[in-house]
Amino acid sequence: MSHLRRSHFCGSPMHALDRRGFLGLAAGAAAFAADMTQLNVLQHPLLAGEMKKQQKRCILLWLAGGASQLETWDPKPGASTGGPFRAIPTSVPGIHISELMPEMAKRMKHTCIVRSLNTRNGDHGGAAQLMMRGRRDEANLKYPDLGAVLARELGQADSQVPDYVSFYFATEGRGSAPGSAGFLGSRYAPMELYTSMIPENIRRLDGIDDLDHKQRGELRDSLSKQFAKGRVSSSLGSHGEAYQRVRGLMASEKLFDVSREPQKIREKYGPTLFGEQALAARRLIEAGVPFVRVGRAWWDSHGENFETHRELVPELDHVMAALLDDLEQRGLLENTLVITLSEFGRTPGINASLGRDHFASAWSATLSGCGIQGGSVHGKTDAKGERVADGEVGAAELFATIYRALGINHQKNYHVGSRPVPLTDPGTKPIKALLA
Amino acid sequence: MKTIKEISSNGFAFTLARVPGSQRVLFGGADFKVYDVDFSAAKPEAKALGEHKSYVTGLALSGKIAVSGSYDGRLLWWDIDARKSIRAVDAHAKWIRKVAVSPDGKTIASVADDMVCRLWSVADGKLLHELRGHEEKTPHHYPSMLFACAFSPDGRCVATADKVGHIVVWDAVGGKSVKTLEAPGMYTWDPVQRKHSIGGIRSLAFSPDGKYVAVGGIGKIGNIDHLDGKARIEIFDWKKGEKAIEFEDDKFKGLIEHLAFQPKGDWLLGGGGANDGFFLFFDLKSKKATRHEKAAMHVRAFVLDEKVETIYAAGHGKIQVLEAKG
Amino acid sequence: MRSRHLTLPLLVLGLTCSFARSAEIAPSALAVEQVVDRYIESSLQEARITPAPPADDATILRRLTLDLVGRIPTLEETQAFLASTSPNKRVESIDRLMNSSGFVRHQATEFDAMLMNGTKGSVRAYLLVALSENRSWDRIYRELMLPDENDAKLKPAGEFLRQRVRDLDKLTAEVSCLFFGVNVSCARCHDHPLVADWKQDHFFGMKSFFSRTYESGGKLAERDTGLVKFKTTKGVERQAKMMFLTGKVVPTDTLKENPADTAKKKNKKEGEKKAPPPSAPKFSARAELVKLSLEPEQRDFFARSIVNRVWYRLFGYGLVMPLDQMHSENAPSHPELLDWLARDTAEHGYDLRRLIRGLVLSKAYARDSRWEKGETPRAALFAVARVRPLAPTQLAVSLRLAVADPKTFPASLKPDEFDKRMAGLESNASGMERLFEQPGDDFQVGVGEALLFSNGERVQKELLADGGDRLLGRMQQLKNEEAVDLAVRTILSRPPRAAEKKLLGDYLQQRAAKPKEARQQIVWALLTSAEFRFNY
Repeated sequence: MSHLRRSHFCGSPMHALDRRGFLGLAAGAAAFAADMTQLNVLQHPLLAGEMKKQQKRCILLWLAGGASQLETWDPKPGASTGGPFRAIPTSVPGIHISELMPEMAKRMKHTCIVRSLNTRNGDHGGAAQLMMRGRRDEANLKYPDLGAVLARELGQADSQVPDYVSFYFATEGRGSAPGSAGFLGSRYAPMELYTSMIPENIRRLDGIDDLDHKQRGELRDSLSKQFAKGRVSSSLGSHGEAYQRVRGLMASEKLFDVSREPQKIREKYGPTLFGEQALAARRLIEAGVPFVRVGRAWWDSHGENFETHRELVPELDHVMAALLDDLEQRGLLENTLVITLSEFGRTPGINASLGRDHFASAWSATLSGCGIQGGSVHGKTDAKGERVADGEVGAAELFATIYRALGINHQKNYHVGSRPVPLTDPGTKPIKALLA
Repeated sequence: MKTIKEISSNGFAFTLARVPGSQRVLFGGADFKVYDVDFSAAKPEAKALGEHKSYVTGLALSGKIAVSGSYDGRLLWWDIDARKSIRAVDAHAKWIRKVAVSPDGKTIASVADDMVCRLWSVADGKLLHELRGHEEKTPHHYPSMLFACAFSPDGRCVATADKVGHIVVWDAVGGKSVKTLEAPGMYTWDPVQRKHSIGGIRSLAFSPDGKYVAVGGIGKIGNIDHLDGKARIEIFDWKKGEKAIEFEDDKFKGLIEHLAFQPKGDWLLGGGGANDGFFLFFDLKSKKATRHEKAAMHVRAFVLDEKVETIYAAGHGKIQVLEAKG
Repeated sequence: MRSRHLTLPLLVLGLTCSFARSAEIAPSALAVEQVVDRYIESSLQEARITPAPPADDATILRRLTLDLVGRIPTLEETQAFLASTSPNKRVESIDRLMNSSGFVRHQATEFDAMLMNGTKGSVRAYLLVALSENRSWDRIYRELMLPDENDAKLKPAGEFLRQRVRDLDKLTAEVSCLFFGVNVSCARCHDHPLVADWKQDHFFGMKSFFSRTYESGGKLAERDTGLVKFKTTKGVERQAKMMFLTGKVVPTDTLKENPADTAKKKNKKEGEKKAPPPSAPKFSARAELVKLSLEPEQRDFFARSIVNRVWYRLFGYGLVMPLDQMHSENAPSHPELLDWLARDTAEHGYDLRRLIRGLVLSKAYARDSRWEKGETPRAALFAVARVRPLAPTQLAVSLRLAVADPKTFPASLKPDEFDKRMAGLESNASGMERLFEQPGDDFQVGVGEALLFSNGERVQKELLADGGDRLLGRMQQLKNEEAVDLAVRTILSRPPRAAEKKLLGDYLQQRAAKPKEARQQIVWALLTSAEFRFNY
């Protein structure tokens, strides 16, 4: 029948899909299996050492609620929309950022500012999904978010550490963009931390000792392996893999414990929750976790925008600078991409409560480290910051750029059943100028 | 409350001062400029004296001298008759939030987000005292803010109040802390939903007899994306270090941005707002709000005239002359 | 309900889609299962593949019980089935299960998951009523699409539209996917380049049936007028007709701009608050869609889609895959079979029971899931049973049942009392299903689930605590061998094999000092085994 599956998907430039995928379900399943095998091969100690050097990772500083571009990366001092903050020069001549970010100003060489995002969605939920996935879900097709894709692309099938960790302790906006593996399924779902720095269910309960815990797991394995004989199913395989990862993950609890860091390092990140979670993120990626999201909520400054940013931006500045320094000193920065991103920016217009509202037409994000042309700015907004004046970037282009910076082909296909689905919408191009 | 006259303030006006015995008012705000306007004119018109490099947030008058403070950290001295700036002082490393003048007109107090109150000689701009008694960080390790200051009626004390509700009364002559008071209810940190804060003590006034210090701000905020909390006033018998009154208004939501006592001291007038604005008359004896007046703007600063007949107010969009009676 | 459809003439198929094989398909008088096996076997012969042998008795009972009533069998059910020498024992079990109230509850859960997955709402309360009366699929469709919110019993059906009414593109696309098996969302931006069936006119034609639907004061409402305009890829503005997927257009004079639309846009918030309570429209576009899509000449999409979806659920793989790509360029694996089943279903009044019963009676359904010799044949051949992950509710209820004292459901229990107790057990299990993910194609079990079972307090408390009414309690009273035997029979719904007896027996033996803990651990190992997690 497979020859009949020739062409039931769009082939237009807009929705074009790779024809290699038109091979029916068997091919889809096989491709999936091949992927896994390949990764398993890399578990070989010698190869693993080489792999570790090259292993790319990503930390997303997720500024939930919508941080203001005008009070961070794209200041407009003196404009009627500019607000009270000044711009300051940075270590890269010609680039100015808000005076609220003196530490990042000293470290611009690692960072590229994208000032020309136009993402067309100003609703928290929809925008957060868009900026976590790079596109809108389709009817009957939920896309994996950035973390799930990177877990799949950069993680190892039987990894002993989690491959997608997400911190989000504030309650506001948590439901807007929970980590989502979409069609990749729960194998790539995040380990989400909401209230405690210790992941859920990672600690052995008191009622069972460690040896019994281990041996009942082995008993489970023997029974399951017997069952798996003669039965081929990727779902069945994933069940076994999930259980095989349990003991390793339990051992990774210490990665979340920042009290194991020297006091000097802890002080660099500072005492705030955001600082501690950024430090935990570094501990995690250092141990091989490919993706960590540190959610800092809630930036939604409809009232008192400047007081809000006066409070929150210095923390962002401090934590981001500490993180980049720490990664650089450990030789991790060249393989670690640090992203700062919100669901949208904020209006240039200042409302009657001295607030700024939701704004998706001309806003900023940054990329630092791995694969990025540091010390650069992409795109610009007009004098008042009301629209993109040059180099417009949509969510798709931003994601293509992120994938490419991490060495991933942004046009790569996944298969949903037999349907090939590319990583970014067809025709999407990464921003070349921004890639190292 | 009847509006007698009003003009546009070219955006947000944050501060205002009135030349005693006249209808001449100086104001400043988000367009960085310092203006004056004479409301006795048939068609009052604001004219700029000059400008700062950021929001103008404090103004105080001593005779023909005005001193303005700004988020640019500078204090500018103005000769209001010559309409020009006569002195500039780099007063603070961070945003100046308020400027107050002593009753004798000799001393200026400025407070800023460097968490220091500085006292200045009006005559020559010299620094008299640096008053340090406010933490730079909140208990949650974020930058604190020092919003409010005022002199006591006898001029011997100056009081300062910050974002976390910490109040210090200082000996203005000796430059020493005399008393500290706490109003933690003014600190609006939201530890669960949004993990930030926007309130703080925004206004401060001594009672005419010098016995009480009143502070204004906002109470617990549900949704901290907005000024969505009850207007809040606390009054201290400061020498005793006792809280005399703690009040949250049931009608008005938002910040109390400015507070002034009636000269007899029977009642207290608060002005402020969220999206909209209000005036609130608070009776000290009954400890109740006796009059609620909606304002046409979020009120940032106001002055009562000597006879308590007229209010001159500055706020988001307007400068107004209002009839105080009602 | 049935007779109305039985009187319909044999339809002429294939208006836009080329299904013009109806003349060749098997006669309608045959039983569903016979036709299924005839077509499946013929394609196997063509492919020169001998299918897997029938599954053994214990497996087939477990599979049927999971599919029909959403749980594993009780120990007594398993024992009785294994002991029975009746040549009709499979049919008897199917009928017993389908006549229990558990059947209605499970089907309601499954259809609810199908209809409401991805939303925050549920229509299960409505489905329970509808399915307990064996309402036909066309009636359920009609009641979901045209909910009478004034009727308390029908009100929950409104959730289907309510959850989607804020995004009419989504509503259009999802109704098309769920009821007609086609995904027209590609055609929102452009004509489908390779599938001749789908033009922009189709998407916007379908949207025209929904564009007048809105929510007012918490109630669903529909305007009399309103039209959908769209821009073609060439930038030309076009006005959509009210057009079904087949190309059939509803002639109407109501395609005009709604005056309320412009006013509403101007003052959106106020308009909503002050809007008068909605009254029923004189002309309902949604009612037109329901009417049109069920007309004999138009009903193919509707009939084929429900057949494919039910088939998918019971076989783990559709006759057409993916389920929302039923169009002329994506042929079914067994076109004649799908045509026959669609016709049969339509002619029998869209009777879901008939369809389900027929499918589970087939030989194709009852094959073993192991393929030990050579490469596994393509899924579309249905040569071997698929290993299917349990749905969240199936898993939650089965876990509860597995750890319950088998004596809770003794052989002596009358069917009514059995149903009552089982309903009680199901409601005790409720809540746990939220910990599991609704499986889709190529479902991958996440490590979160493995961690939950390995270290979760909830699992410990709800499944492994040794209450008086538990399997564990019963096991504590038994010798090792008997305890193993009981545990395997109860949890895995089959007798233990020799190797297992040894493996589990040794495990207990080595922990002779702490028999209680050891028994708990083997219960855990069985509950978390792959065998328990899947329907195989």
